[in-house]
Amino acid sequence: MEKSYLVKSQSSLEYLLVVALTFAIIVPTTYLFYNYSKESSQEIIDAQITKLGTSIIDAAKTIFYSGQGSKTTLEINIPENVESAQIIDGRELVFNITTSFGTSEIVFFSSVNITTISSNCIVNTCKLPELASSGLKKVKIEAVSKDFVRIEVI
Amino acid sequence: MKKSQVALEFLSTYAFAFIIITITIGALYYFGIFDFSKYLPQKCIFPSQFKCLDFSLKPTEVRIKLVNNLGENIKVTSLQITNDAVPPISCTPPASFDWTYATEKDLAFTSCTGGAYIVGERVELRVSMSYYALDTPSKPVHLINGKINGKVISS
Repeated sequence: MEKSYLVKSQSSLEYLLVVALTFAIIVPTTYLFYNYSKESSQEIIDAQITKLGTSIIDAAKTIFYSGQGSKTTLEINIPENVESAQIIDGRELVFNITTSFGTSEIVFFSSVNITTISSNCIVNTCKLPELASSGLKKVKIEAVSKDFVRIEVI
Repeated sequence: MKKSQVALEFLSTYAFAFIIITITIGALYYFGIFDFSKYLPQKCIFPSQFKCLDFSLKPTEVRIKLVNNLGENIKVTSLQITNDAVPPISCTPPASFDWTYATEKDLAFTSCTGGAYIVGERVELRVSMSYYALDTPSKPVHLINGKINGKVISS
């Protein structure tokens, strides 16, 4: 009878030890990987914004130098965390992004004049509200005059 | 009577075990055994337009080396450093300066106090920088934020 209790208690203790050891490995590992992936996702968002901003500016330059009436459409994937997008002074394409350590403005500079539909422009700032939500967007880039290129989400 | 004694002894044994385990876990927590963040790599994260090349955390000084990848000459108007500690870290930031594109700058925050900024401790600092492009007519000021996660080392 006593031997049976001993065997039972030993197996219970062994079971508890295995569970405790498993927890001792899983909890720190999960914490470390979670933090590591959080920082990596920040870098991925930054890389995505850089890629799409550069592609818009490069396309605007190409269209501008192709002459009035030239146009192209880009398919761009807006990542999460983009709060707003705007064009300032016809040369700065600005994306406001939120990160775990605050809001940052990612700015792309264009050597050709860029604008958007006139109803979105106030003084020297033109808003691009459609670029402020995540997902796949079609962006039309058109040389509407010899002086500037219009960027429009369709 | 005997049954109640056995029950009481059983409960008091469990209570003692519970108290000892709680004290042990508390002591381990106090001595930082459960602070897993110290096993994370030391890192400096900035947007790629101001890539962080290097950093150092010395007892009263924070240095960051950034590169201007904007493709534009800019003027940095202000720099700030802070963290979540109470009171937060307070340093003397570098004065405003012009920054030519594709060049590196070594930014030094000096006379750092507070913010649990202690030698041997792991700290997480947030750096914010305001700038404007010199060639943009209205000179709109832009803000970028970065993060440093590292250990303060004695100089």
